[in-house]
Amino acid sequence: MDHKALAREMRGLREQVSGITDTAVAAADGLLIAADTADSIDPEGLAALAAAGLGLARRTAEATARGALHRTVAYGSHGCAAFYAVGDTALMVVLGDEGMDVDRLHTATQPALRRIDLILTDRAGTAQQSEKAAEGV
Amino acid sequence: MSGYELLARDLAACGRDGFTGEVRVTGLPGGTFHFRGGLVVAVESPGAPGPEALLLRSGRIGGEEWAGLVRESGGARWPAAGLIAQGYAGAAQLRVVCAMALQDAVFAVVAGSVDGCERAPSDGPPPATIAVGEPPTRLLQEASRKLAALLALPCPVRPERERPVPAALSYAAGRLGPLQREVLTHADGRRTARDLAFRTGRGVYTVTVEVARMLGDGLLECAGAPAPIPVRVPPGGHGVRPREPASPPPPVPVPPSGPPPSPATLPRRRPGASGITEALAPDRGDVAGNGAEATPGERPESQTGWKEFFRLRNPTTK
Repeated sequence: MDHKALAREMRGLREQVSGITDTAVAAADGLLIAADTADSIDPEGLAALAAAGLGLARRTAEATARGALHRTVAYGSHGCAAFYAVGDTALMVVLGDEGMDVDRLHTATQPALRRIDLILTDRAGTAQQSEKAAEGV
Repeated sequence: MSGYELLARDLAACGRDGFTGEVRVTGLPGGTFHFRGGLVVAVESPGAPGPEALLLRSGRIGGEEWAGLVRESGGARWPAAGLIAQGYAGAAQLRVVCAMALQDAVFAVVAGSVDGCERAPSDGPPPATIAVGEPPTRLLQEASRKLAALLALPCPVRPERERPVPAALSYAAGRLGPLQREVLTHADGRRTARDLAFRTGRGVYTVTVEVARMLGDGLLECAGAPAPIPVRVPPGGHGVRPREPASPPPPVPVPPSGPPPSPATLPRRRPGASGITEALAPDRGDVAGNGAEATPGERPESQTGWKEFFRLRNPTTK
């Protein structure tokens, strides 16, 4: 797994969207992989909460025939916490203050989630070679 | 054409046209200008705290109370009447907050990057509007003047660029103003001036200027490279792996077809085999006279009822 590439993706997302305060990536079972969080945040607990929350939301979507789960967002008076599934194997948490444009966040996270999935599953290099081959490079 | 020139041209055109609706500015942080009759009545930007954030973060009202006011007002994003009625703020204070937030949002848009502008119809009533709109050209000129003043400081900063930390310089807390103390409390090398403005519930221009001054005074300093993000290798050494499908359960032995064989060792229960039915059958005669006076032939099955019961209880009984 390319640690630098993963850190670059997490930091890049923060630079790309105003209002992101913290990000974390964890395995689907809640085991923390990487955290770019302030000292006031417990990243291990955040990862566990995210796994539980996403699992509950996925079960709810299934039980109510809402289709595939895209994300969950918890809104508070001082900001929000967005939880995204990263493929079948991991998840990403994004915390933002009340100024964060959540729609913009959802747009910006889609390509980042795909790249993070490739990084976590050690397929990033393979995917780049395939894209270059498709472009005829 | 620079982003600012593009913004100035489009907003001026909205003013000339007497436009009513929204102008969405893409960029970082970008924002939305709300027009009414060619005048700007509200501006929202992720780069500056809006009136709601200013009230909530400054502690003037709590989150639960705010939610209650929003419910009472039927879901309005800016429950001005409730704020006044409940005594959280006066009408004049709310007007000042809205006007300051509007100008601060314009500053944030101008201080950032502008990629494009797009007119759109109003998506519902704009929140926290000012009573009398401002001409867009004047708003932009004021924001440009503020940005020029900021960049003229000895240590100029941008609202979303520098992430300062408190300097090692010792300072007497008593000499610091309340804003300086708050900035020092929350500056952790992760927050920009924009983030500090949201955290402290103050205008982004005010906080950015204060950060620039504190950098110049040596109270803050800009850290070099950001701290590396620690990455833990998942168990197994490499990347994460999709979950293994659950192993199939062991095959359940299929019973042979045909009727089940009668067990050789376990007895098969026959109805009435225990004799309890006969033993407990109602026997009026026995009840009346201990069975000795029962008439033979009247209820022959009950003649031995109690005897059978005792025989079952004690096989040695005759």
